Amino acid sequence: MAFRADYLLRETGQNLFRNPSLSIATILTVAVSLSLMGAALLVQQGVGRINNVFRDEVEFIVWMDKEVQPEQVESTADFLSKSIYIKAHRYIDQDETYQEFQNYFADEPEILELVTPEQLPTSFQVTPQDADVESIRAIADEIEILAGVDDVEFASDNIKAISSFSRGSSQIMLFAALLSAVAAAMLMYNSIRTAVFARRREIEVMRLVGATKWFIRIPFMLEGLLQGVIGAFLSIFAVFGLNRAFDNFFGNLNSFVFRDFAVPSGQILAIGGILMVVGAVLGAIGAGVAVTRYLDA
Amino acid sequence: MIKLEGVSKRYETQPEPALIDANADIAKGEFVFLIGPSGSGKSTFLRLLNKQEEPDAGRIFVAGKDIGQMSSWKVPMLRRNIGSIFQDFKLLPTKTVSENVAFALEVIGRPRSVIRTQVPAICELVGLGDKMAKYPDQLSGGEQQRVSIARAFVNRPLILLADEPTGNLDPQTSIGIMRLLDRINKTGTTVVMASHDRGIVDTMRKRVIELSNGVIVRDQDRGVYE
Repeated sequence: MAFRADYLLRETGQNLFRNPSLSIATILTVAVSLSLMGAALLVQQGVGRINNVFRDEVEFIVWMDKEVQPEQVESTADFLSKSIYIKAHRYIDQDETYQEFQNYFADEPEILELVTPEQLPTSFQVTPQDADVESIRAIADEIEILAGVDDVEFASDNIKAISSFSRGSSQIMLFAALLSAVAAAMLMYNSIRTAVFARRREIEVMRLVGATKWFIRIPFMLEGLLQGVIGAFLSIFAVFGLNRAFDNFFGNLNSFVFRDFAVPSGQILAIGGILMVVGAVLGAIGAGVAVTRYLDA
Repeated sequence: MIKLEGVSKRYETQPEPALIDANADIAKGEFVFLIGPSGSGKSTFLRLLNKQEEPDAGRIFVAGKDIGQMSSWKVPMLRRNIGSIFQDFKLLPTKTVSENVAFALEVIGRPRSVIRTQVPAICELVGLGDKMAKYPDQLSGGEQQRVSIARAFVNRPLILLADEPTGNLDPQTSIGIMRLLDRINKTGTTVVMASHDRGIVDTMRKRVIELSNGVIVRDQDRGVYE
C-alpha cells in the first residue's frame, strides 16, 4: 500500500482545522491531564531524592564547619558516643560527601568540575535513642553549640511531614491525572468521530473504489496522534515551569536536603519523554478505536 | 464473470426477504438490466456483488472467485475491479471534476504520473474535457453522472454496477448516459444496471433479469420491460 506524503499531510491538516474548537479542547484536555501526571512524577522523584538523604532511621544530620579541625570532629564524635540519648551515629567524610555530591550532579558536569572534595562540609548522620521530638530537640540544641558544628538539620517533623504530604499529594495528582486522561480519551474519541462524520461522503467513496481500511484510518489516527503530541508538548512546558518553581522555592530554603527536591534537567527530559509517549499512544489509540468503530458499523 | 448460486438475503429490519434463492450467470462483456419495481431486490443484488452486503445463503462468484470465502482485507482489491455508479452520483462537492476523478486513483495509491495522464483522458472520454475545473454544483445532472461514470471507470474495472443511473435525469439526458455506458460495455467491461425506466430497457434490447418481491421471475436475452 503506497501512502503519499502530500495526501497524508493534506488530509490530516484538513481534519485538524475542520473543527478547531473541538481540536483545541482535545489538545488542552490532553495537556492538563499530562501536566498533572508530570507533576505527580516530579513530586515522586523529589520525595525519592529527599529520602535518599534521610535514609533508614537517621533522624538528623549534624553539619560541620567547612574549616573544621580534626580534633573538633573527634570531640563531636566523642560527645555523640557518650550521650545516652543517641543510639548510633555515622561520620560522613569529605570523600563520601563528594561521592553523593557527584551522584546529585551527575547531569551537570560543569558544577562537578568546580568542586573538589576539600570544599565540601563533612557531617554526622545521627539516630537518637527514642523518636520523641522534644528530647531530640534538646539534644540537638546541645550539639549545635559544640565547637566546629555548623548546623543541625532535622528529618523528624518538617521533612517527614512534607514528604508524607508530597507522597499523598502525588497520589491525588496521579488520580486526577487518570480521571482527566479518561476525559481526554473521550474527547479524543468524540473529536475523531466528528471528523469521521464530517467526511462520511469521502469515506463512502473511498470504500467503494477500493481504498484499504488502513488507508482510510491512518489520516484520522495521525490526527489523534498529533493532538496527543501537541498536548504532551504543552504539558512538558508546564512540568518544566513547575520544576523551576520547586527549584526557586526549595533552593532558597538554604537546606542541603531540600535543594535537591527539584530534579535536574536530564530527568525532566525523561519525564517529558514519558508524557510524549503517553500522549501519542492515547491519541492514536483513541482515534483508531473511534474510526474503526465507525468504519465497521 | 458473475455467478449467483441460490443466493438469499434478508435484512434484519424488514419482515420480507430482499432476495430469495437467486441464480444467475453473467458472462464477461455482457450488458444486463435488472428490472422490477422499487423494493424488488435490484439494489440488494448489486450490493451483494461488491460485498457491501453479505448473503444469508448461497454462493457468489466474481471473476472466478467465491467472494463469500474472501477474507475482509481482500475486499478492497475486489472493489478495485468493480466500478459503481448511483442515482445520486455520490460526488464530493468540495472537489472539482478532475479532483473527484483523481480521488478514486489517489486513495488506492496510484502514482501521480498515472493520475496526471489518466484523469484528463477519462474526462475526455465521458465528454467533459472542457469542464474539468468545474465543481459538481456548476454542472447539470447529466454532466454530474458523467463525472461519476468517469470516476467509476478511471481504474478500468472488469465490472460496472449501475444503480438507477438515469433515475434523476430527463429522457433526453438519459439517452446520452446510456450511450456512454454502451461504449464502456463495448470495451469489454461487464455492465449490470438496475433500472425501472421502461423506455431505456426497451430501446437498448439487452439481456433482462426481472425481479419481483426478491424472486427472479424472468431472465431473457434481448428482452423488453413488459
